[in-house]
Amino acid sequence: MKTIRDSILNHPYITMGLILLLTVFFFMQIKNKGRMETDLDKYMPQNHPAFVYSDQAEEMFDIKDGIIIAIEHPESIYNGETLQKIKDITKSLQKMDEINKKDVTSLYTADNIVGTEDGMDVKAFYKRVPKADKLESMKEGVSNNEMVSGRLVSDDETVAVIIARIDDDVFTQDFYKAIIELGESFEGPEKVYIAGSPIVEGTMALLGPADMKRMVPVVILIILIVLLGVLWSIKSTIFTFLVVAISSVWTFGLMAWLGIPVYAVSTMIPVMLIAIGVADGIHFYSHLGIFLKKNPGADKLTAVKDMIQGMWKPVAMTSVTTAVGFVSLLTSQVYPIKYFGVFTAFGVLVAMFLTLVLIPAGIMAFNLPKQRISKDKSNHQPAGIAHTFSIALLSQRKLTWVLTLVLVLISIWGINKVWINSSFLDKFESDSDIVRTDAFINEKFGGTSTINVILETESKDTFKQPDILKLVDAMQDDVEAYNMVGSSFALTDYLKRMNKVMNADDEVFNTIPDTEELNAQYLLLYEMSGDPENLWKVTDYDYRRLNVTFQVKSDNSKVINEVLERIEGYRQALSDEGIELNYAGSGYKALIFTDLILEGQIKSLVLSLLIIVALLGFMFKSIKVGLVGSFPIVITALIGFGVLGIFNIPLSTTTALLSSITIGIGIDYAVHFLDRYRLNRNSGLKLELALAETMDHSGRAIVFNAVVVIAGFLVLLASVFPPNRALGALVSLNMFISFVGTLTVMVLLIVKSDLFSQK
Amino acid sequence: MKNLLIISTILILAGTIFGQQLNGTEIIEMTYSRPTSNTMEANLSMILENSRGDQRVREIKQFTKEFGDVEKKLMVFLKPNDVKNTTFMSWSFEDGSEDQWIYLPALKKVKRISSDSNSDYFMGSDFTYEDLGDRHPSEDRHKLTGEVSIDGHDCYIVESIPNDEEYMYSKTITWVIKDKWIGYKKEFYDEDEELLKELSLVNFDEHGDVIVLTEVKMNNVQNDHSTIMRLSDVEVNKAIADNKFTERMMKRGIR
Repeated sequence: MKTIRDSILNHPYITMGLILLLTVFFFMQIKNKGRMETDLDKYMPQNHPAFVYSDQAEEMFDIKDGIIIAIEHPESIYNGETLQKIKDITKSLQKMDEINKKDVTSLYTADNIVGTEDGMDVKAFYKRVPKADKLESMKEGVSNNEMVSGRLVSDDETVAVIIARIDDDVFTQDFYKAIIELGESFEGPEKVYIAGSPIVEGTMALLGPADMKRMVPVVILIILIVLLGVLWSIKSTIFTFLVVAISSVWTFGLMAWLGIPVYAVSTMIPVMLIAIGVADGIHFYSHLGIFLKKNPGADKLTAVKDMIQGMWKPVAMTSVTTAVGFVSLLTSQVYPIKYFGVFTAFGVLVAMFLTLVLIPAGIMAFNLPKQRISKDKSNHQPAGIAHTFSIALLSQRKLTWVLTLVLVLISIWGINKVWINSSFLDKFESDSDIVRTDAFINEKFGGTSTINVILETESKDTFKQPDILKLVDAMQDDVEAYNMVGSSFALTDYLKRMNKVMNADDEVFNTIPDTEELNAQYLLLYEMSGDPENLWKVTDYDYRRLNVTFQVKSDNSKVINEVLERIEGYRQALSDEGIELNYAGSGYKALIFTDLILEGQIKSLVLSLLIIVALLGFMFKSIKVGLVGSFPIVITALIGFGVLGIFNIPLSTTTALLSSITIGIGIDYAVHFLDRYRLNRNSGLKLELALAETMDHSGRAIVFNAVVVIAGFLVLLASVFPPNRALGALVSLNMFISFVGTLTVMVLLIVKSDLFSQK
Repeated sequence: MKNLLIISTILILAGTIFGQQLNGTEIIEMTYSRPTSNTMEANLSMILENSRGDQRVREIKQFTKEFGDVEKKLMVFLKPNDVKNTTFMSWSFEDGSEDQWIYLPALKKVKRISSDSNSDYFMGSDFTYEDLGDRHPSEDRHKLTGEVSIDGHDCYIVESIPNDEEYMYSKTITWVIKDKWIGYKKEFYDEDEELLKELSLVNFDEHGDVIVLTEVKMNNVQNDHSTIMRLSDVEVNKAIADNKFTERMMKRGIR
């Protein structure tokens, strides 16, 4: 060890050169091979039964997410110009490479099943735009057809929609722009709105990173400024920052080198590295500062050697513990989260390595950092504050405990209110364009979110049986009674429509026919006169499977769960008929996915806590220390989740991952404090004095670290993208609780359990 | 019109005898004017298969009769059981228009049905109504592009491009068996000039000079869906009463 240290200290330029070379190598990897993964399906575990089932059903029934283009005319869409625009938009969409011709639905493409005096007719509503005198009869035709009215044209006739269903993998930035431009080109006097889950996801994929790109430089700037204020040296600030920056480059470089794409959650890696890297740097320079204060004349080699001697152990211990904590994320079923865990662990170890090597090399090469010019008084003031704080803390034990208990109890109450939200729309400002458009379309039509219910049974022709179809119809009615469900669509709707039409458009016959034969014959008739492909979107060849689609007016998980609950009410009745009920579609998958993430998150949280207790116990050779050291983490996690519940912030993938960061930071604080305190006690200091010294040394560095990172992340509160704001607020909050918890509750625990006492 | 065609056919035949090369239009005209039966009665099996390999089979009793300017067809479903005796009748007129009726036994009513265009698929199969009928040669521009021998059949290859640019196919290519004047294979290209469907002849019967295509297969290569139409118990030029093709007879079904 010593020889390595000495050769680094003797050849600082070579050391820095090697680090630079490696950094260039990793940077080139990012540049050449790095790629973002934006396809949300790629995030989901491909072999999880719910996803396998959903994917199969999606393929079988051709279930796809739709882009919705709505065109609004102030009075009525039944005029030549608007109808022409509906036709033109339909045709333009059909011509796009990303869209299959048959996947575009509008009033222009819709089949109109109508009853005539002597029979039935299936025809288009219009091919050429109808003349003024024909508009009235067209309007009537639409309003009499419940398969079209309220679905493609709003009941008040002012809005029509064109729906383009797309495959999961075609969405790109260019496609998004093309769609937006297409919409804009048809504006005036009509208004054109664009919505649908692909658009919401697309906007999010664009807005999130774009906002981050804007905010990150500001965050970095603030961190640099505060770091400068804390370290009081430009050199130290630059080297501390280099530790963070270079470890980020190596981490993302390694990912690119191994061919692993950058997922949305991977953007949390630098967040972690900032917190950890800054901490390492501050502890190093802080130790150096204290040494130089005590030994004003020391040369740089002695100073650096003392810095490494005094700090390598706690830095190594914190880094290894943090890294191991992150590796526990491997238990997650979600690959992007596994990668997040492993690569954050790697990054943390790189930050450790750089702190141990680059900072000493930097001092050797560019001399000792300038120390704060000390006026006599201020020289001892920090120690004074630390001392005063220690005394105060010790004398207010009861108060501290009571306060902690109250906070914990409030948090536990809050945790009970925590809810999970897989909604994409809820990630946007409530007055943003995309949310307003969605609300507008939800008000006029069935709903922008869909849930697919897949019914399946063993015996052929089950879904031609009147009793079964009536049960399905009853389920549709029942679920539709919930005001957040706009409409539903299934085989039943075709049969009811045909029955009505074949009985002279008599509303009495808008029911499921009473015999299996009549159902079968209507369906044959539909195949003869309509487009049979439509049938295979709601059932299969053998009538063993059924796809019932519900349009829901929100993608909020509370709403989706409420809908699912109503559907579940029919599980037993269906099961009695030998019919199995399952779900499919992107909305359902998102819901399951969020549950999976949280489940994995909570599992790994518990696991990493156990690992940390064991590791700390091993490092300090006392399981008691392990328990004491992990106490602030538990409190931080409790309060962190409690705050979510109290302020009604739903758990999402980002907020859930924050708990890992909490652990990483919390353990950092605890280990530094414990290590320093042990050193002080071992050197023979009495409890109060050891405490005051530790407060002055580690405590100060912890406060500095917290201040720097909190200041940096508070900047995110100015972000325009709510998830980024939440990130800023929660990281700051967690840092704050962590440091307060470490310096108060943990300290009291150390005293109480009489750790490291010299007998 | 038909007479004129026959005359020209004779002339063309005479031409070939003297070793003259036929052009594309002449070949298509030969297939169009090949002798057909006045009536036909047969059992039709329609086998539909989707990309997952799911199959549906329909058994139909089929009657057709030529009435000069109109061809009348009656199809009675035998299987599946739940549509048994459902009867479909169509009258196809020379000008391409078509009247269709359906009788649903469960409803006990005959209903007129009409459909917008001939580009609609026939009973959920891969054949459009138009694919099943004979398209007049003058509606396309034909070009002989080569001759080839496949599976022991000497064929002309003729490329046909519709005069109507809005037509559902941008191009068809037909492999016509020499001396029999039946298509052995046909490719249909969609509006984007991409291959959409392939029609192939599996079996045919010769009843005197009338050739009946007893098994054909249409394969939609874009959605991987296929339809086989197989005729059995074919009786050609058997007497079928004119009143077979009426609403009253539709209701009777097969007993």
